[in-house]
Amino acid sequence: MAAQESGLDTELRQQVVDTMTMVLARLLKRSEPITEDQRLMEALGLDSTLGLELMLELEDRLLILIDVELLDQNQMNTVGDLATFIADHCRPA
Amino acid sequence: MTALEAVSVYLPPTRIPVESLAGSLGLTSVQARVFRRFHGLREVGRDPDPSLCNLLMKAAAGLDALRGQEHRVRYVLYARTMPVVAPYPDNPLHEVCRALGLGHALAFTVTHQSCASGFLAIDIAGRLLAADAGTGGQPLALILSGEKAFTREAQVFENTTIFGEGASACLVSAFGAHDRLLAYASNVRGEFDNATGANDARLQREYRPSLAQVMRQALDEAGLTLDDIRVVLPHNVNVVTWQRMCLLLPFPLDRVLLDNIPVSGHLFCADVFANYKTACERGLLRSGDRYLAAAVGAGGGATFAAMVFEH
Repeated sequence: MAAQESGLDTELRQQVVDTMTMVLARLLKRSEPITEDQRLMEALGLDSTLGLELMLELEDRLLILIDVELLDQNQMNTVGDLATFIADHCRPA
Repeated sequence: MTALEAVSVYLPPTRIPVESLAGSLGLTSVQARVFRRFHGLREVGRDPDPSLCNLLMKAAAGLDALRGQEHRVRYVLYARTMPVVAPYPDNPLHEVCRALGLGHALAFTVTHQSCASGFLAIDIAGRLLAADAGTGGQPLALILSGEKAFTREAQVFENTTIFGEGASACLVSAFGAHDRLLAYASNVRGEFDNATGANDARLQREYRPSLAQVMRQALDEAGLTLDDIRVVLPHNVNVVTWQRMCLLLPFPLDRVLLDNIPVSGHLFCADVFANYKTACERGLLRSGDRYLAAAVGAGGGATFAAMVFEH
């Protein structure tokens, strides 16, 4: 489903992508740029521990609360997938 | 049919916020915040008294149904997460038995299924008592649980839970009227041994589906479905695991008793008993209600366990 059809806030999603790539680079100690299509676990080596730390930092930086309990494994295959989920499942802090 | 005759729980009044434990547990401030924000763990109980024997005695002291019935107790089972909790030759279980006037009972520890050992203890107690049927005297078993968070390993399970101190004492009979055990299912998965960590990622993936599977298995054996269940008594591993479990099952989150997780943490094997008491105190269980208790014991292998009871 296209972003507009789903009612996804594309501006917020882009903010999430920008912030996430920056935070991920620091958490994963990567100097190479991180892109939307990279797979979080297989390519970037994100585990569930760092995943929750990532969520916490995104909440802090974007002043949102993320509905983490609704997150399925298949919604966080890539950086872009996770950004879409977050933009779709968050509320103002 | 195995029945829980009476349950007593002791939770120490001293509560420590997770942030205050971060230093001693070697957690970063972010990790401590993750515990609070996502795992729903705000504080845990710590009994200032260092004695494990005294901790268990405080739970037993509240077990009024035991008074005057000590002669009927044939078995005392200590359901425990940690394999070793006292230096040889100390034996807190035997100390408790002597103090309670239960020196005559056969006393032993059940520990091989980590935090699911409480379920195994209930099952064993029921089987032993059933095997004694016809020997007279309406025999009982006493199940104790609760531990001191005395090492780092006994205080925190990395990125998953923080253990709290507390204890429970439960009298079990073979043919009691309440609360009757309708079914028990368990699935022991030796491949999930955290000593090697080789299958940690797989355990993480299979944790909830495996727990859901064993819960359904217990329901099947009881001839029931989730629709028949009034309340789920969870293990207190963390809140988000049960939020996700409810989506997977599916089951209404407000019928999973999560009250104790934020304020007590994971009480080792005592979770099910503490949550049962809370459910009773809150009036969530009426006579005839069926409820489902579930736990995962992870450590030297993983055990997924579930029991169905009728109140």
